[in-house]
Parts: sequence; C-alpha cells; structure tokens
Amino acid sequence: MENLQSLLHGFTIAVTVPHLTLMVIGVLLGILVGVLPGLGAPNGVSLLLPLTFGMQPVSAIILLSSMYWGALFGGSVTSILFNIPGEPSSVATTFDGYPMARDGRPTTALATAFGSAAFGALVGVILITFLASWVAQVALAFGPPEYFAVYFLAFASFVGMGGAAPIKTVVALAIGFAIAAIGIDTVSGSVRLTMGIDELVKGVSFVVAVMGLFGIGELLIAVEEEFQARAVSSRVDWKEVFRALGRLPQHGVALLRSAAIGCWMGITPGGPTAASFMSYGIAKRFSRNGARFGTGEAEGIVAPETADHAAGTSALLPMLSLGIPGSATAAVMMGGLMIWGLNPGPMLFVDQKDFVWGLIASMYVGNIVAVALVLLTVPVFAALMRIPFAVIAPLIVIICVVGAYSVSNSYLDVVLMLGFGVVGYLFKKLHYPLAPLVLAIVIGDKAEDAFRQAMLMSKGSLGIFFANRLVTTLVLAGMALLLLPLALQIVRLLRKPDEAAGEKVRII
Amino acid sequence: MISRRALEIAAAALTGIFGVVVVVSSIDNGIGWSSAGVDAGTFPFLTGIIIVLGSLYNMGQGAMGRGTLAMVRIAVTPSELRRLAGLFVPAAIFVAVIPLVGMYLASAGYVFAVLALPRRQSVLRALVIAAATPLALYVVFERMFQVSLPHGALAAAFGY
Repeated sequence: MENLQSLLHGFTIAVTVPHLTLMVIGVLLGILVGVLPGLGAPNGVSLLLPLTFGMQPVSAIILLSSMYWGALFGGSVTSILFNIPGEPSSVATTFDGYPMARDGRPTTALATAFGSAAFGALVGVILITFLASWVAQVALAFGPPEYFAVYFLAFASFVGMGGAAPIKTVVALAIGFAIAAIGIDTVSGSVRLTMGIDELVKGVSFVVAVMGLFGIGELLIAVEEEFQARAVSSRVDWKEVFRALGRLPQHGVALLRSAAIGCWMGITPGGPTAASFMSYGIAKRFSRNGARFGTGEAEGIVAPETADHAAGTSALLPMLSLGIPGSATAAVMMGGLMIWGLNPGPMLFVDQKDFVWGLIASMYVGNIVAVALVLLTVPVFAALMRIPFAVIAPLIVIICVVGAYSVSNSYLDVVLMLGFGVVGYLFKKLHYPLAPLVLAIVIGDKAEDAFRQAMLMSKGSLGIFFANRLVTTLVLAGMALLLLPLALQIVRLLRKPDEAAGEKVRII
Repeated sequence: MISRRALEIAAAALTGIFGVVVVVSSIDNGIGWSSAGVDAGTFPFLTGIIIVLGSLYNMGQGAMGRGTLAMVRIAVTPSELRRLAGLFVPAAIFVAVIPLVGMYLASAGYVFAVLALPRRQSVLRALVIAAATPLALYVVFERMFQVSLPHGALAAAFGY
C-alpha cells in the first residue's frame, strides 16, 4: 500500500506541463534514433546527457527514459518494414514482422508490434511499482554462475526451436561464438583472434554483423527473386490499426508468457535482446501455429515485442535498486544519475523518494505518450513501403554502410558489414539458421565471461552450477529445453503406429 | 549457372577455413587451465574445432547431395546471377571509393548511377534523389547527432 501512495505522489510530479513536453520531445528523438540503425538508444541517451546537466534530476531522467521508450518502439519500425533491426533487441521482430509487411500488411504488423510492446512495457512498470523494494534482495543473490545459467537458459530455449539441419545450426552457433570472442578478452586482457589486424582489437560489433546479415543479405535474396514491393493501399487505414489492436487479446497466452519472460530477463540482467529471442523461441515451440512462424504470424511479432519492452522497462529496476544496469542504455543513464549527484542503490529509495517515484510514474505516462506518438506515425512509415524497390535498395545499402560506420567510426566495419552481407545471403540460401548466429554474437562474450568467472570461483569444478537452488533450477530448466526437441522426436516415433491407425479410422 | 552442390561445398569450405583460422590463432592465447583460470584461448579453440568438424560433415552431405535441400539441383540461374551482380557490384564499388571521395560524394554518385544508368527512373528524379541523400545524411548525422562521416582523401586534399 505504501508503494501505491508513493506512486500517486509520483504522478503529481510526472504529470505537469513541462514534464509532459519533455516526454514528447524525448519520445520523438527516441523514435528517430531507434529507426536509424547504428544509432541506438545508448547513443541517443549519451548525446542528450550533456543537455540535462542544468536540469532537475527528475526532469532529466524523464527526458532520458522517454527517449529510451521511443527508441525501443522505433527499433521495431525498420525491422518490420525493411528487415533492418534498428536496435539489437528488435532482431527477433524481423522474423515474422518483415514477412507480414512484405505480404502487403505493414500497418497490421506495425500496429501488432506496438500494441504488444505497450502491453509488455505496462507489465514491466507494474512489476517495478510493486517489487521495487523487494527485488533488490533477490538480485543480490546473482553471481557469475547464476548469470551463466541465465544465458544458458536463453540459449537453450532458442536452440530448442530446432527446424534447420542440426549440424548447420551448430556450425552457425559456433561461428557466432568465435566472432564474439574477437578482440580484447575481458577476463585475461589478452587480444584474441584478430588475425594480425589491429583494428579488430575493439571486436566485431553485432550491429555490423546484423546489418550485413539481415540488411544486405536479405536485399540480395530479394533481387535474386526479383522481388517487387507490392503496392500497399495508399489510404491511411486507421481502421486496420485498431482492428490489429483488437485482435491482440486472441494472443493472450503469448502476451502473458512473453511479458513474464521479459520481466525475468530484465531483472536478472539478461537484457531485452536475450529476452526477445528467448520469447520468440518458446512461442514457436508452444504455439498452435508454431509451424507457420517465420511467414508473417501475428504471434511471432507479439512474442518478441512484448518480451523486449517488458525487459527494457524492468531493466531500470536493478539499476535503481542495486546500481547494476540491466542494459547498455541503463548504464548510460546510471552515469547520468551520478553526474546529477545521486547514488544509485538501495539508499536511493530512502533518500530520493521524489526522484524514484517521479520516474516510475513517468514510465506509465511516458509509455502512453510513446504508443500514441508511434501509432500516429505508422502511416508515415507504412508509406515508405510504397517507394519502388529500385529506389529503396540503394538507400538501404547506404543506411547499412553509414550505420556500420557510425558504430565506431571505422571503415573496416563497413567492409566487414559487406562481407557479412555475402555470408547472410549464402547462409539464407543454404538454410543455415541466422538467428543462433546473431544470438551467439550478442551474448556469447558475456556467457563466456560468466562461465570463466564461475570457474575461477570454484577452482575449476562444474559443481558450482548446482551449488544452490536458484542456479540449479536455471541450469536444469535450460537442459530440459535443450533436450525437449529430442524427447518430442522420441515420443513421436513411439506414437507413430498408433497415430497411423487413428488416421485410418478417420479416413474410413 | 551454379549448382546447389557446388554452393554447399563452397559454403562448407568457407566455414571450415574460418574454423581452422580460429583454432590456429586461439592456440597462441593458450588453451586449457592455468593459474589464472580458464585460458583465454580455450573457448575459441573449442568453437573452432566444432566449426571444422561441422563443416566437414556439411561438406560431405553437400557433396553427396543429401540433406534438407536435396531436391533443389540448381542454386543460382544465370539471370539470377546477373541481378545479384547488378546489386552487389555497384554497392562494393560504392564502399571501395568511400575512403577516396568520402561518404557524401560516394553516396550521391552511387544513387545516381544505380537509378539513372539502367533507366529505372528519369534522369531528373535520379538527380533529385542523389542530391537529397547526402543532404539528409549530413543533417541527421553530422548536425543532429554529431557523428562525423568520412569526408575522404579528396576533401582532405582541399583542406577539410
């Protein structure tokens, strides 16, 4: 109850004209950086940071967090329309969002994405409201073995999807891990796998990989198939926006499950990217329409988007209560907190009640503002789909090139991106799965670090992964997900004679 | 014309070579267990081994014409190859000239060449799009987000 009272007090701080204006500005800028690949929420927030030094801490955090919401929404736009994820966490949205948009339903795809994203964010904020003080204690129990177990779980749930040729999946996965290892090793400090190229010391950014694999690779597949963007109805179809939103409750189970996954991954800092992949993988396995995933299923958009936003929102929880940022953006914001003279951590809730609850209240309002603004801009983005492919193709190439360059102002990244484009085309053509490759590039490093730190703690004994209830549960759940496809296969084999008999009866 | 078999073998060879490179270069970092814990090269070494073994398997499958795509004999037809080159070659030239003339000139030239030369668009429209592209890049990146794009050796020669 005390939390609710504080929240009401927070609303009186957040819902004022200057703060609402800040939210609108933040969200619009956020959508812009979200839409531009290469520029992401962390870049945007860092660029805005100097502007906030003269502001009240509450106003500053409202501006920055609104930008974060805007970027989370904006990232989905390019994933759906051009198959270029504007943010790493929206990679999983491309799997079904892009096919649906290409199928002539961009409005539906965007509205579905925004609707489920808003739901995920809402669940995340509600969770923060009620658990803010309690979660601090749970998250304190997280050490390297637990982190590794969380990553392992995310990985296993994704591999559990199956589908592609198993050995090709394994090769794709291992290549991803190797790419993630390029550069400075954070545990020992030694330089790995640079093959004598000094510029590779900074590592290969997954943004570069993703833009090549998905952006350029997909473009090559598209020209090969002589793809022509289908004329999308030129009317602004507002009805379709609401119809798509109205259909969301049909995916109730997926919404709730994805929100739960998202919140879990946000608090235990697995992050939005791992959350969206994991949610997509699980949805594919358990959905009735699982087999049609990847061809433009609404549920394939709902699952990653809900989890992405639930995780993005709840990632602020460990930042505020523990001083552990759950995502790159949260890390930048935490830097801001310190510059404004606030110390993130449990004491923040005691000393700076106005700040904390003002921020939490602004999350409710800010997300509503973000949904409204982003829905208003749907027709603008959907109109982009009507530009002839001959014009769009070179523009996508330029966006990918500029995006790859701006990650770290390196020309080598541009060349690498083009190389990844060829790999993406080749892999797609020969049915090597791209998703495990990307996931391994994104979290491979962190998983390896967590594993090695755990090994240091236990002096090389794997027993540390079964040392307490939390980590044991996580590891066992991961193994169960890994073995699930195998188990299902065996069950199917055992059942086969019966099923065949049943089939005959039905035919008769 | 490229057969699917050739493409499978080529892809497996590519991943296999990458795997060998990973294995060789990670041995330099040390593999196994030392006083500092798991050595830096251990993880990449293992992934490299997995890549090599997997690639060999995939190459075998491809060569014998088995696997998920066994029904497809032809991977890329000549006309498809022409269209692929039509997209990729200009893009590669665009990337290659960036260090020389800078992002702005290169992107304008690239857009104009791709749109006007195959007569997909009228010359006027191609010109407009070619001019608008670097302008938009400049406003968004250089001005709004203060990300400096490469200006190229040519601009440097003129003192920018």
